[in-house]
Amino acid sequence: MMKYIYTLLFLIVFIGYKPVLAQDQIRGTIFSSEDQIPLAGATIKLKRNGNGTNSSADGTFTLAGFVSPDTLLITYTGYLPIDIPLNNRSSLNDLRIELQRDQYALQEVVVSTGYEQTPKERSTGSFTQISKSRLNEQVGTNILDRLESISSGLTVDRTTDEGGKISIRGLSTIRGPRDPLIVVDNFPYEGDINNINPNDVESITLLKDAAAASIWGTRAGNGVIVITTKKGNYQQKVQVDLNINSTLTGMPNLDLLSQMNSADYIAVERFLYEKGYYENTVNSLSRPVVSPVVELLLKNSNGQLSDDDLNKQLSVLGTQDVRNDLRQYNYQQGLNQQYALSLKGGQTKSAWFLSGGYDHNKGNTDANFERYNLRYRQSIKPITALEIELGLNYTQTNNSNGKLDYAGITNDGSIIYPYTKLADENGNYLPIVKSFRQSFLNTLNNPALYNWDYVPLEDQNLIHNQSKLQDVTANVGLRYHIFKGLSADLKYQYQRQNTNGLNIQQEESYGARSLINQFTQLGTNGQFTYIVPRGGIRNEQQALIESIQGRAQLNYQQIWGKNEVVALIGTEVRKTVSSSSSNRLYGYNDDLLTFGEVDYTKTYPTLIGGGAAFIEDNVGLSQRENRFVSLFTNASYTYDQRYTLSISGRRDASNLFGVKTNDKWNPLGSVGLGWNISNEAFYDWKALPYLKLRSSYGLSGNVDLGQAAVTTISFGSNSPYTGTPRGFFDQYANPELRWETAKIWNIGIDFSTKGNRLSGSLEYFRKVGDNLFGLSPIDYTSGIGFTVVKNVASMKGNGIDLTLNAKIIDKKFKWESQANYSTYKDKVTDYYLESLNGASFTSPQALISGIVGKPVYSIYSFRSAGLDPLTGDPRGFLNGEISKDYNALYQNAKLEDLVYEGSALPTFFGSLGNTFSFQNFSLTARLAYKFGYYFKRESISYTSLFDRGLGNPDYSKRWQKAGDENSTTVPSLVYPANSLRDAFYEGSESLTEKGDHIRLQYITATYNVPKTVLNKWKLSNLQVYVNVNQLGLLWRANKSGIDPDYEYSRSTIPPAKTIAFGLRAGF
Amino acid sequence: MKNNLRNRICFYTAAMIIMGFLGCKDFLDAKPDKKLVIPTQLKDYQALLDNYPVINNSDPGSGEISSDDYYLTDIDYNALSQDYFKRMHIWEKEGLFNETTNDWSQTYRPVYVANTILQALEENNENLKNSINYNDIKGQALFVRARSFYQIVGLWGKAYDDKTANSDLGIVLRLNDDFNEKSKRSSLMESYQQILNDLQSSISLLPSAVVSPIRPNKAAAYGLTARLYLSMRIYDKARLYADSCLQLNNVLLDFNTLSKTATYPFAKFNKEVIYESMIPVPAPINNSRAKLSLNLYNSYETNDLRKTLFYRPNGDGSHRFKGSYEAGANLFSGIATDEIYLIRAECAIRANDLASGLKDLNDLLKTRYSKVNGTTTYVDFQTTDQKAALSKVLLERRKELLMRGLRWLDVKRLNKEGAGINLLRNVNGISYSLPANDNRFALEIPQSLLKITSIEQNPR
Repeated sequence: MMKYIYTLLFLIVFIGYKPVLAQDQIRGTIFSSEDQIPLAGATIKLKRNGNGTNSSADGTFTLAGFVSPDTLLITYTGYLPIDIPLNNRSSLNDLRIELQRDQYALQEVVVSTGYEQTPKERSTGSFTQISKSRLNEQVGTNILDRLESISSGLTVDRTTDEGGKISIRGLSTIRGPRDPLIVVDNFPYEGDINNINPNDVESITLLKDAAAASIWGTRAGNGVIVITTKKGNYQQKVQVDLNINSTLTGMPNLDLLSQMNSADYIAVERFLYEKGYYENTVNSLSRPVVSPVVELLLKNSNGQLSDDDLNKQLSVLGTQDVRNDLRQYNYQQGLNQQYALSLKGGQTKSAWFLSGGYDHNKGNTDANFERYNLRYRQSIKPITALEIELGLNYTQTNNSNGKLDYAGITNDGSIIYPYTKLADENGNYLPIVKSFRQSFLNTLNNPALYNWDYVPLEDQNLIHNQSKLQDVTANVGLRYHIFKGLSADLKYQYQRQNTNGLNIQQEESYGARSLINQFTQLGTNGQFTYIVPRGGIRNEQQALIESIQGRAQLNYQQIWGKNEVVALIGTEVRKTVSSSSSNRLYGYNDDLLTFGEVDYTKTYPTLIGGGAAFIEDNVGLSQRENRFVSLFTNASYTYDQRYTLSISGRRDASNLFGVKTNDKWNPLGSVGLGWNISNEAFYDWKALPYLKLRSSYGLSGNVDLGQAAVTTISFGSNSPYTGTPRGFFDQYANPELRWETAKIWNIGIDFSTKGNRLSGSLEYFRKVGDNLFGLSPIDYTSGIGFTVVKNVASMKGNGIDLTLNAKIIDKKFKWESQANYSTYKDKVTDYYLESLNGASFTSPQALISGIVGKPVYSIYSFRSAGLDPLTGDPRGFLNGEISKDYNALYQNAKLEDLVYEGSALPTFFGSLGNTFSFQNFSLTARLAYKFGYYFKRESISYTSLFDRGLGNPDYSKRWQKAGDENSTTVPSLVYPANSLRDAFYEGSESLTEKGDHIRLQYITATYNVPKTVLNKWKLSNLQVYVNVNQLGLLWRANKSGIDPDYEYSRSTIPPAKTIAFGLRAGF
Repeated sequence: MKNNLRNRICFYTAAMIIMGFLGCKDFLDAKPDKKLVIPTQLKDYQALLDNYPVINNSDPGSGEISSDDYYLTDIDYNALSQDYFKRMHIWEKEGLFNETTNDWSQTYRPVYVANTILQALEENNENLKNSINYNDIKGQALFVRARSFYQIVGLWGKAYDDKTANSDLGIVLRLNDDFNEKSKRSSLMESYQQILNDLQSSISLLPSAVVSPIRPNKAAAYGLTARLYLSMRIYDKARLYADSCLQLNNVLLDFNTLSKTATYPFAKFNKEVIYESMIPVPAPINNSRAKLSLNLYNSYETNDLRKTLFYRPNGDGSHRFKGSYEAGANLFSGIATDEIYLIRAECAIRANDLASGLKDLNDLLKTRYSKVNGTTTYVDFQTTDQKAALSKVLLERRKELLMRGLRWLDVKRLNKEGAGINLLRNVNGISYSLPANDNRFALEIPQSLLKITSIEQNPR
């Protein structure tokens, strides 16, 4: 049946075509004898006439100029060389050559740049390849999540980005885009990377230096992650693979949230109440929220509550903690399930791969995520000279909200009171204060109005958030061998990702009730009108990303004598259109699909507050389009397998707005040298049979498409007053703006000891970023704001990447170790600072400090002189004297008054993995570490506590009486709060901590069912595995019990432990 | 057959590569964002002018914070989170403004919009001149620029005095869209002259009728000119322009038609509004804090409807303001007919034309007093004493126009007339005062601005 389909397909595509073969050519395919997989990049040479070639990605080769008799020499790193004598009688058309693996040799690594595949031996650039087996040591939904602890030179920066931003070899820009380029099967991936099924990934290659990455041009300044997915191989038996796993996620540790103790919080509210702090709130006509404690205090003041009852009720509240209720009602263990099935096979002229995946994740608050993956790849060789590759991927994901999490329950936008009770002892759900003062709402006894209570545990079931994503990626590639050594590639990819978000607030939900009530117009004699129709509120968002990419490329490869040339030249066109739209319906009934009419052009007095307000229309439309045209070339020349010279060049142009086409082009390039020292005649160091030195230098770039060279305006929603569109400035003319450039120099050695017992590489790199985007302050009399973006900054960075692989014990019991160690340091060499005021460098958040000579992200602090023993005020130094003049200490402090503590980003980091195996058992454990950096711990700010209710457990450690200054650095409570005093303390060195830590990232145990059993079950392999992830810190430098990777904001907490069980089977 | 295929593939590959070299000019000319436009059309300019949050809704509140129509209790003062508001409230010499967004930065924003349009109209004169909206848009831009300059000069300039205006420090007059231009302070004379020129030109360009008071019309330009001349104490001109304004629109609201129980009795865009603009209420003068001056409250008669429509009792003897034409806590700072009546009345009285002046005053007040059976309880004010008439009209001006962003300039102007208004506050047991004609009536230039420019600070 399958065969029939192929024949049909073949006929449709190339009907009437009959292959004719040249007589003097040898054609064949190189296979690995072990797993029958075609080998790419093997060297094939004719002994007598010296002609040679390399096998292509599918293992095939064509060699011309055969004159009988001759001997074919085939070499391939990691395999034993083989000689094949050929004569007139030999079949020259369809040689099948199998190579035996050399157990003690280096593994040949073919690195993929997305444009070509190069054997690592001949590359001059910095590549890190991560194999399928290493990726498979972890379990998860997203492939990139696995990279952090296993790749060299890559770290995930959680200091400046809460979700974590992948960074390859640190920064190469200050304010420009910082994400590495992600390439999936030859083309940049424009969709959500979560769409990729990790089980479809064959390998990942990181391109780290200019020689590796500059072929990708302006988007490669931050490095490139090349993901190659699985495909079928020619002449391969049908193989079925199954992977099933379940992951349990523990409960997040809510105790790590910086929430103040309830009794302390109540004490502060009482203190403020006595000072009259809430007077303004209580008196306001807009009826803002008044906390339950303040309501009790008010009742007490009005004589409605006795002192005894007040104290009793307050002490009950003081024992409550909202996190207990959340744990009981809303948090649970998460469960992720993953099923993946793939089939592949191949005949002489075709190969195919088909996979399906299903993921179902249930989060800690019952949110659901479902993903369906379908992937189909087909390679066809209708004639020997032509290969066609087809790919079709479909992904669908469904997300739906679960229950409310800690940050999800708010009152009037601020954080929930710590003593809030969500349900009573009998499990009845309780209302909590939300947007208006509850005691005022209780007086509104009008039948026209909905009940105005907010019961979070009930309300969470009345709001439905769903999003559905569909992604279709289709690609086709043609490779035609024009003549010996020259081939043409045409590639085309179409991707369409459609996201549909739906948010429904049912009529009974608080949001709908409150809005309808707010706009209800109550007349004097019981009449009323509804301005917002009764019913639910339905919000819909649509987002569409469409990308079309095309590439034409000529490849040339020639070996003559000791010379070998590999070159390519090509052009690429890319267009990405992202559009979105949103709309809202009021008075919505989900059962009948009915909705109401609303007048958005008039204001209506609101019920509470009385101010006139519009009804929000929540309608929006946008469309963005990025276009690129690029030209690229890459060439390398190798002499005698000893010396390699490589060059690459690329020009990119984009549709930057308002720039003349000629100015849009940006040339980039690189040059590299490689020296295989171990191939030299003089080299006879037996202990180190492989030694290679390589170096590269080049230019890559970074572009921000949001910038423009002319003043542009953008249109917003219509003005309700005039009914005409409103225009505002989008960009101000910035004609000098150009693309950022990053110069990268890399030098490295690759080595391997005898029998491959110890192998690895050591690299050193330097980066120079020039013309970097920076903010330049502008006189705000200009009326355009405070800063403009200019190419004003530059920076330097350097570092080391060391990778070591060791077979420490290689007997029946095996111990393999793999270590990554990287250093990275950067410093700003030019930057335009808005001010040299000390205060702007001491923020508790890691911000771009931009001080010349110091790291881009630096930690600076005010010198601390401890607390005043009499008052508990924080003290600093002013001209060498102890001082409490906060205006001088904070506002007027200059940079030179500060202490520089160090980088806010790790300056050395890496990972260490150990695998122990015995017979069919294997156990892998991996550590990850980050060292040489600092962070600012969060503490109490009385200003934030009073104004926004943001407390901190440090409150209980505050100075309260003389003598406390010896044991604490937390200042005393003062009223009114002094924002300068708070800011001084928050920026003082008392709160700086070392970030250094070692983390146990994961432990994986596998058991492979022995061959004897497998044969009985007609299986080719069967493996069961357990993966425990996020095991937490083994060691940290700070004594405050903080995980420095999860200290971004007050609501950041470390991820919970996960444990996964799974099995892999092959038929 | 095979050669055919080979040729075809070679051809397409080569063609694509050559196309890449040629650069695909049209392909790269697509707009990266559909909503982006280089402003060249009149409708683009109108859209910029219709962006009411920038043009109409960000008038400065510093003058009102520094004025004497309200007071703060110690508790409310202490609870203010922004230090600069506290300092401004007690007339400190320095540190009155936020480092970034402040009244200076906000008020210069419409100036840039206006300059961009005026410059573009200048450069594209030929193409656009014949369009029907050309004059309208040019007039709007001139009006917008003049109004911003007027507000800036009112806060950072001294009270206008003919004798010293040539040497007194004025404001930075930005007249083109070059945002790299170095800031330089003009003289007070030049500043006022520029505003008058802009307004003069706009009067002839603006239409008489507009779709909404959010856009300026002729009456608005006359009204603003009258206001400006009043602050310059050129009363004959102020009277003339007030008169021109009222010729176009002299409608007054009858306060008897308004609800006394409504939280905010006045509708936005009520029929007195000639031009709509607003001060987003800053924390110190938000009606949940600011208590209205008790002396002022006591000066209303019991049948004066303003006493109930402007004032809401807090229950402790103090009152908060509810009379904003913004139908909310934000303050109306636009031009309304009641103000123009009062300008014309004051100027007529100053010119000793008591009959005309008192007629305007009485016409206005009739609508402010309660009616019994359709007849007003207001008794016309009559006098032949110019001084008495003047102090009456000035008192009524204060009672009618409180919390409209006008008091600060009135205090400055009247002190120049010798009124000797000394502002006093008592905060946390300490007395603060701002004596008449003190240097601090010209506010501090924000310190953050002085760090990046070399303009001169006002004498402190």
